[in-house]
Amino acid sequence: MEVLFFAALMAYFFAVILQIVGVAISREKMMRAARCVFAVALILHTAFTVWRGIAAARIPLANQFEFASGFAWAAAILGFVLFRKLRQEWLMTASMPVAFLVLSYAAFQPMEIKELMPALRSTWFALHIGAATFSYASFAIAGGLGVYYLVMLRKGHGEDDTRMRQTDYMTYRLICLGFLLLTVVILSGAIWAEQAWSTWWSWDPKETWALITWILYAIYLHQRMRMKWQGKRMALFAVIAVICVIFTFAGVNQLLPGLHSYAV
Amino acid sequence: MKKVISFFRSMKFGMILLVLVIVCSFAGSLIVQQREPMEYVNRYGAGAAEVILALGLDDVFSAPYFIVLMAALCVNLTLCSITRLTATRRAGERLRQQALSAPATRTLDDGQAQRLCAYFKRRRYRCEERDGQQLFVKNLAGFYGAFLVHLSFLLILIVGVAAVITAEVRDETVMPGDTLTLANGARVTVESFRIEDETGTLDYASQLTAVSSDGQRRAGKLVRVNEPLSFEGYKIYQQTYGTAGRLRIDRPSNGSSEIMTLTEPCFLTLNGRDGLFYQALYPGYVRGEDGSITLIASTSGAYTDPVYDILSVADGMTTPVLAFPGETLTIGEVSFTMLEPVSYPGLRIKRIHPAVLGALYAVFVLMVAALYICFFMPPVAVRVSKGGYAVVSPKTQTGLLLELETLLKEDN
Repeated sequence: MEVLFFAALMAYFFAVILQIVGVAISREKMMRAARCVFAVALILHTAFTVWRGIAAARIPLANQFEFASGFAWAAAILGFVLFRKLRQEWLMTASMPVAFLVLSYAAFQPMEIKELMPALRSTWFALHIGAATFSYASFAIAGGLGVYYLVMLRKGHGEDDTRMRQTDYMTYRLICLGFLLLTVVILSGAIWAEQAWSTWWSWDPKETWALITWILYAIYLHQRMRMKWQGKRMALFAVIAVICVIFTFAGVNQLLPGLHSYAV
Repeated sequence: MKKVISFFRSMKFGMILLVLVIVCSFAGSLIVQQREPMEYVNRYGAGAAEVILALGLDDVFSAPYFIVLMAALCVNLTLCSITRLTATRRAGERLRQQALSAPATRTLDDGQAQRLCAYFKRRRYRCEERDGQQLFVKNLAGFYGAFLVHLSFLLILIVGVAAVITAEVRDETVMPGDTLTLANGARVTVESFRIEDETGTLDYASQLTAVSSDGQRRAGKLVRVNEPLSFEGYKIYQQTYGTAGRLRIDRPSNGSSEIMTLTEPCFLTLNGRDGLFYQALYPGYVRGEDGSITLIASTSGAYTDPVYDILSVADGMTTPVLAFPGETLTIGEVSFTMLEPVSYPGLRIKRIHPAVLGALYAVFVLMVAALYICFFMPPVAVRVSKGGYAVVSPKTQTGLLLELETLLKEDN
């Protein structure tokens, strides 16, 4: 059934190409086609995720491949839901590449289904990891919107342009959502760690980097809410902060072994 | 003095502290923590190791500067929370006044005004009549969002430290069949321990039985990671595990026989000269084509083919011996029979005061709720009159304005 995974990956790829070309040459039809292909990709991806969950007899978020696939799925779902609600094309332009790139990363990870490690057999597993996928997806789309904002700025759009203000605002809202979910991840992780390892917090690299990410976005929110920073500076911040998210997600597992090493 | 307090409660100071926490965390995650000095020399070189040790970067999160940093963060959060609470007290009324005096976004005809009123009622805005104008308000609790977030973060730090300081923690290695007594007199017996379950899957599970001091209450549980035993306020965790060698020592001369469990190297002797020196127990071995044996140094699973690494010491001669379970070695008048090794758990017994535990869970919930209120319940006041409508909120209302404009366009 891996064919579903690769079919979804290909569909995401074509959706991204259609969307980018559509945006570049301002063809609404092409962007509509991109959305249709993206919807197909999402259906295939969902089918693969469901199949994997049934085959593994658990929630398929137990290793780096499954988490990356879940992360991409969350980004696709989030992008789609936001588009359905707000009908703004730039939301798809930002979320499509995120879903595709994260799923491409998943394709390079070992795909075999392994039994759930004893440490992961917990009722907190679904909440902790599930919230992490949507948190990372929110931050990643916010980073994508940051890139979109900067590109549009280079193209000559002013910061007072309605679309630019909406993009800036949506970046902020996504970061709010991601921050709330990351808080849930950290707090549920602390409760789980107490249950599993008898300690709430052990300064494990994964925990430490989750905290670094949390603080970084806390700084973003303070600058935005209190200092009224907006526009270019915040877009740049969202892009830089997403690098930290990527390191917490992938870099820590590869470079900094610790209690979360089973996530590889 | 005012200036000092003003600085300590300022956002600028808070941001500096957060950046410093990031810098410390960054260092603490990249540099291995709490190791012997020699390990830093081996890993990073003598010069770098000297700097790491001098700056306390080998134990960043317990270093005095990190503790000072966290204390300063608590001070900042406390002052900031007080300031916010004071500023928030009359915020609702201020918002109403702002909405009443704000310039209208656009003029409305009667139909549009009615539709807007209907929209706000549908969205459960509270409708108020002020100076002949309709005022719709919602989410006034949102004013307390930021205050509650800061307060909950502060409480997490304080209660978290209290939980660590007040916790009673005790680590014990207990052999299967042995019993340990808790501080309140309750007894916990390790009935059995297994590394793998019946199917060969790694399990690391201890079957524990707990009995209260008066013998009235009993509890039994298969304890493994994620599944500690809770008994009379104590939590008993399956924390570590090990495998120990076992020997039967027979002395035919007096007919005595004794079984010893060996967890570390030791010299077993009667006269101080001759005897058996137990060095180590290996989990398995690989036999080469030439009959040579290569020992397997470690395993995360059960010891499938255990090998005893021992020295036979007799008449001043020391002979290295690899022995297998069931083999007997006779040195002088004593026979040493190697038995099947025994796996045992390392238990952690922990007790946190229930009030502290409850407070910690409560502040966790408070933080999530506070963030939700802060981000997703922005206070809004909207004035609707024939002259037009005005939206006032401390936060950008791009989404609401978009919706209202769409609604009014639809009306046209």
